[in-house]
Amino acid sequence: MNVLKVSRWTIAAFILPCLIVYVGLVFIPILVSLYSGLLDWNGIGQSTFVGLDNYVKMFTRDAVFWPAVRRTFTLAGFSMLVQVPIALLVAVLITRFVRRPNFLVSSYFLPVILSVAIIGQLWKTIYNPASMGGMINQILTSVGLESWTHSWLTEPKIAIYAIILVSLWQYLGYHILIQFTGIQNIPSEIYEAAKIDGADGFKADRYITLPMVLPILKISIVLSFIGSLQSFDLIMVMTGGGPAHATEVLASHMYNMSFLTMQYGYGSAIANVLITICLIATVLINLLFNRLEKRYS
Amino acid sequence: MSQFASSAGSKPALKILGRRFSFKTAIAFVLFGILLLTQLYPLVWLLIYSLKTNEEILSGSFFALPAEWQWSNYQGAIEGGNYLRYLGNSLFVTATTMAGVILLASLAAFAIARFRWKYGQLVMLLFLLGMMIPMQGTLLPLMIIFKNLHILNTHLALILPYMAFQMPIAVFILSGFLRSIPHEIEESAIMDGAGPFRIFRSVILPVSIPPMMTVCILTFINVWNEYILAATFISSEKLKTLPFGVYSFVSQYSVNYGAIGAFLVLAALPVILVYFLLAEKITKGMVAGAVKG
Amino acid sequence: MTKRKMKWFGMAMTGVLAFSLSACGGGGSTANNASDGGGTTDSGTAAGTTEPAAENITITFQNIYPDASDPKNQMMKKIVDQYEKDNPNVTIELDSLNTDQQKLKLKTQAASKEVPDITVVNPAAQMQPFVDADLFAPLNDMVEENGLKDTFQSGILDYYTFDNNLYALPDGNNIGVVFYNKKLMEQGGVEVPTTFEEMIEAIKTLKSKGIQPMVLGEKDTWTGSFLFMNILLRTNGGPGFLQDVLDGKKTFEDPAYVDAITAFQQLVDAGAFQDGATSFDYNAGENLFKTGTAAMYYMGSWATGGIETAEVSKDGNVGVFQFPTVNGKGNPDEFMLAPGSAFAISKDSKHLEETKAFLNYFMLNFPKEAFEAKGAVGIAQNVDGDFKAAGYSEMAMNVLDLFKKVQGGDLAFDNTMNPAVTQVHLSGTQSLFVEKKDPAAVAKELQTAYEENK
Repeated sequence: MNVLKVSRWTIAAFILPCLIVYVGLVFIPILVSLYSGLLDWNGIGQSTFVGLDNYVKMFTRDAVFWPAVRRTFTLAGFSMLVQVPIALLVAVLITRFVRRPNFLVSSYFLPVILSVAIIGQLWKTIYNPASMGGMINQILTSVGLESWTHSWLTEPKIAIYAIILVSLWQYLGYHILIQFTGIQNIPSEIYEAAKIDGADGFKADRYITLPMVLPILKISIVLSFIGSLQSFDLIMVMTGGGPAHATEVLASHMYNMSFLTMQYGYGSAIANVLITICLIATVLINLLFNRLEKRYS
Repeated sequence: MSQFASSAGSKPALKILGRRFSFKTAIAFVLFGILLLTQLYPLVWLLIYSLKTNEEILSGSFFALPAEWQWSNYQGAIEGGNYLRYLGNSLFVTATTMAGVILLASLAAFAIARFRWKYGQLVMLLFLLGMMIPMQGTLLPLMIIFKNLHILNTHLALILPYMAFQMPIAVFILSGFLRSIPHEIEESAIMDGAGPFRIFRSVILPVSIPPMMTVCILTFINVWNEYILAATFISSEKLKTLPFGVYSFVSQYSVNYGAIGAFLVLAALPVILVYFLLAEKITKGMVAGAVKG
Repeated sequence: MTKRKMKWFGMAMTGVLAFSLSACGGGGSTANNASDGGGTTDSGTAAGTTEPAAENITITFQNIYPDASDPKNQMMKKIVDQYEKDNPNVTIELDSLNTDQQKLKLKTQAASKEVPDITVVNPAAQMQPFVDADLFAPLNDMVEENGLKDTFQSGILDYYTFDNNLYALPDGNNIGVVFYNKKLMEQGGVEVPTTFEEMIEAIKTLKSKGIQPMVLGEKDTWTGSFLFMNILLRTNGGPGFLQDVLDGKKTFEDPAYVDAITAFQQLVDAGAFQDGATSFDYNAGENLFKTGTAAMYYMGSWATGGIETAEVSKDGNVGVFQFPTVNGKGNPDEFMLAPGSAFAISKDSKHLEETKAFLNYFMLNFPKEAFEAKGAVGIAQNVDGDFKAAGYSEMAMNVLDLFKKVQGGDLAFDNTMNPAVTQVHLSGTQSLFVEKKDPAAVAKELQTAYEENK
């Protein structure tokens, strides 16, 4: 139990400055967006109140919406089920084998700090046709797998996976860092005790590291989910959502609707759905992990 | 307090275990090497890119080095892109944002984690909600708010929303850290007759340095590359920030790719420097901060 | 949270914001009276650059010439510098953005009625919402001053006129043409095509000889649409298809539109475009032609300047031709017309008269400066001067000759239809690049979207 008993004025003095900036500039805009979602408004001229029409249109008539939802979840799924586990594995291996891990962990983190403008430009070049200097296709051609070459970013069925790969690559280091620090934080006495009981190496990882690292894993998963749902700048730089919406996700769809096709009300409605999905997913992930933690402790 | 310092250290027991299985070690190091290559590659690529001519970039082979190193790209980038002015603005905006986030978030985190009051968790929840909100969705409402505050086209129009959007993660990390500190630490201070402000200043702030570093880095990364708000709320040439310079090379009908590359290198340089200087601290801060999340 | 507390929150919030404002925004040079004039604010942080107080004014000039190596940027700076010299009390603040960012920024600014003193809009349907929202000042009187109106080509200002009010002054007036690389055409053994059928054959021949027939930066989607609309201009036997749709006389399921899709698919099937065309943005696509890797390139005549100065144009290697007839239909002397982006003035400008005076000066000097910078092909104003003598290339002269042939034509899709319908058309056209689709189905999809967004 917290020991500091203070007056409500003191609490206010501590918490209000932060809360005001935050509520005023993050929360109020979102309330405005909730309202805008009920309007037929191009963002400039007169608006008409249309109730839930935007949502009805979104769920029933918008040919782009559901595929975009599916792609958004595909991205989130890959991120949570492929990226985070790989990050955990790498983090475990680093802890186990590397004496001075900081350089390695920091280097892996590097793509995170680079601007998407750089990342996008780089990977577009990598994915280019061989004749235009595309690395993947050049390598495939040089080892005789010419039939495997593709126009990675423009074939509708492949393009979204090409982008997902970039996204997984970029944020891998972020999750490695989080997992790594989580493992570092497990008191070494526990491992020593386990060693006496005959558990070491990967066995120790299975029975000690994994359960102990669960809270951190949860953070990683929540962050990767939210990040996936909001990611859109990479897509804008690489394909702009094309060809023919084949790489459109919820966030890019929202951006296009709000600012390109000038259906601001409709775009706001999509934003609201996006936020709602984030909320629900976060609650679900929390519930799941609470259960796991109970089982292991 | 000493507990945190030690927890960041390595585990000698495990290290020794690892040594014995040299085959496994070899595999692990091959994996580390491949990862290192893929993750560091963009920087190398960018450097080479920035030294090529337009023609080489557009039609050259992927692995080719420039025929002639085009150092003039850098000259073009610095002169044509207003590099120094943008750099100054970026540094100012980023530094102010970081200071503001640290100050306000640690105050709030202190209150949430250490005060005895009912609504701590509720407020925490409110902050967590903010992590779900996509920044571009707030663009238009922010424009209207800033118009009414008369701060459009000032650095404040960037600093305030940057601070606001960094607040959730900052409060999250800092309060997580503070919750892990034993209560004795302020009990003894209360005995000495210290009020909450003095406890905050002379007890809490000093021990919170590691997670603050983490918050600093995260803020720095997010703010340094931000473009949409910067281009929308700032109109004066003398107030614009670095990402703006990057895009200013891309005009309607012509492009100088090499200079863009050079500008990207110059723009990324500060963030890379800061990151590697503070890399050790950020790991420690993460350890300290994220543990009880 | 109770209502009372909410109210208290609100009050406290205003207080803190006000405080932080005075803390941060202070130290500025001028306490600009009610600094909400969009960009007009002479902002705080930088050191005092302003001269004596009184009537010093700042005009914010939002533009889309951000690249310092671009002649347009140099031209703009030159005129602005001269004006500032002649009018020491006026400061012109240049807000130079790339096209996409400018569009986004203007839309955001328009939503909060914060339009900068001078901004950039596109003609006809694209500027309609801004005009409807009553954001721009009419320029009817201003354009009469100093004979500015007579410098513009006849008819061009109509695209910027609504209800007899002129709202913007264009910097360009272009047509759609096909540039071609003479050396590559010769290598492939093909002639300049005079019909679409010949064009397809030429493409197949070039392709079989390993020469890239055409290039296009289709990531930006308007590029392919521009070409598509030229085909439609032919299959429809003349201009006015979209207007007929708007008037309810035709639908998108009309044979003219479906035939245009079919013809476009023939281009794609023949292998006309480079691999991965939909991931190339406009510049990257154009650069392929400029570096001499493709035989033909369909684009607006605004590309002339860039191509002229590129490697590929050495020894007069680039020529231009008119887009040919399709299925024997259409008149090659009808072109895709592209009235350019245009400068508009905010109705709420703090310095409306001064802004008008400046823009008047700017546009009066525009043709002369453009001519000198060799950028006068495709501007919206008449140019006095001998292009040939001034050193314009043969290719540029050819483009100018094509201008003389123009017997009418159509505007781009987004200049005629509303943005929502445009978006469906653009992505529908983009999809033709990557998958085989039934032309009738593509047309039907567009018709549905049109009815929904009328």
